[in-house]
Amino acid sequence: MSKSAIEVPPKSGFSFDLCRRNDMILNKSGVKPPTYRKTGTTIVGLIFEDGVILGADTRATEGPIVADKNCEKIHYMAPNIYCCGAGTAADTEAVTDMVSSQLQLHRYATGRESRVVTALTLLKSHLFRYQGHVSAALVLGGVDITGPHLHTIYPHGSTDTLPYATMGSGSLAAMAMFESKYKEGLTRDEGIKLVCDAICAGIFNDLGSGSNVDVCVITKGKKDYLRNHMLPNPRTYVSAKGFAFTKGQTEVLSTKITPLMQKLEVAEDAMEE
Amino acid sequence: VQKIQSLTTNIGVVYSGMGPDSRVLVRKSRKQAQQYYGLYKEPIPVTQLVRETAAVMQEFTQSGGVRPFGVSLLVAGYDDNGPQLYQVDPSGSYFSWKASAMGKNVSNAKTFLEKRYTDDMELDDAVHTAILTLKEGFEGQISSKNIEIGIIGTDKIFRVLTPAEVDDYLAEVE
Repeated sequence: MSKSAIEVPPKSGFSFDLCRRNDMILNKSGVKPPTYRKTGTTIVGLIFEDGVILGADTRATEGPIVADKNCEKIHYMAPNIYCCGAGTAADTEAVTDMVSSQLQLHRYATGRESRVVTALTLLKSHLFRYQGHVSAALVLGGVDITGPHLHTIYPHGSTDTLPYATMGSGSLAAMAMFESKYKEGLTRDEGIKLVCDAICAGIFNDLGSGSNVDVCVITKGKKDYLRNHMLPNPRTYVSAKGFAFTKGQTEVLSTKITPLMQKLEVAEDAMEE
Repeated sequence: VQKIQSLTTNIGVVYSGMGPDSRVLVRKSRKQAQQYYGLYKEPIPVTQLVRETAAVMQEFTQSGGVRPFGVSLLVAGYDDNGPQLYQVDPSGSYFSWKASAMGKNVSNAKTFLEKRYTDDMELDDAVHTAILTLKEGFEGQISSKNIEIGIIGTDKIFRVLTPAEVDDYLAEVE
């Protein structure tokens, strides 16, 4: 909270003062930096006859390890706008939460429903200001007063407006599905099926994507967030009853007993009053 | 242009005094609520928001080159501690109320409320009581065009009633 009556806007963007020193550490001294959690990912969006459908897989990776088997990649921006995020998980979370907050303030100030282009401009100007260091590749979709919209936003701040879009490491697999099967004026069920097919293509053919399919259908005045709409990779759990091993199955080779505490006999002295 | 504004989905505010001053406070409070959420990922409790707004108002009584805000605010909200009502004065002091009134007709309105208020009112009764309190000092004909009513129920969503709904309540009161 500012203590002065006049508020000075805070300096924005990164300060690059330590770049030279970082360069020396990373490249010259052989020290390896820690890996951060990326979302590998397949995210898609398409426009159908009544609005927009967004889809995402649910695997978050940390290098070769799966960090989260069921994470949420479709982020809330406004009641009528949702955003899928690929890239560094922390970056996509932080940037979508921040812009969602700004959109809420804007809604209070104007008294109107948020527009997708507003969210788009807020996101792209933020990403551009950070010159690609905020590693967030987003698929933004929503329905507002001007109709359904779908955009892709790249980490450096450039955007595309498309009828169908894919991002993330599984984007090529998903785009192959879209390019062969997309047509204008899809119905809701056809659209959901196509989105699921595209995400599944990413799940099964890309190592960075996996687990389940999340779908979000946005139409005029209504949204359906279908979390875990499809679970093509169910876990086969160990039987809850446990294993029954009969006694004597394991051979005892030797036995040694070590008492942990000496047993002491305490003689109680009679206390004199 | 409305006198009753919402600060968050579950907190609303109305003012008595200079409209432009209240606008500044409403803007600041909304931003503070969002910042609180961004920091703690928890919707701001009513007491916290009132405290922060009161702090801003107090700042302007102790800084150089500025004048105190010419508004008193009534902040109503519903959070985990149940429904709450607060009054914030230009000095920066705030009070918790079960029922309160501000403005030109404050003394009559408060005596009226003291007689009429009960702890266990239903929402509809409360709206009727509020309308009757307003009517006490009202000059001219009371209608949906010259009053505003904002409510927050157990659903925890603050909303301003539409003129049609206000008309319904007015008809019931008559």
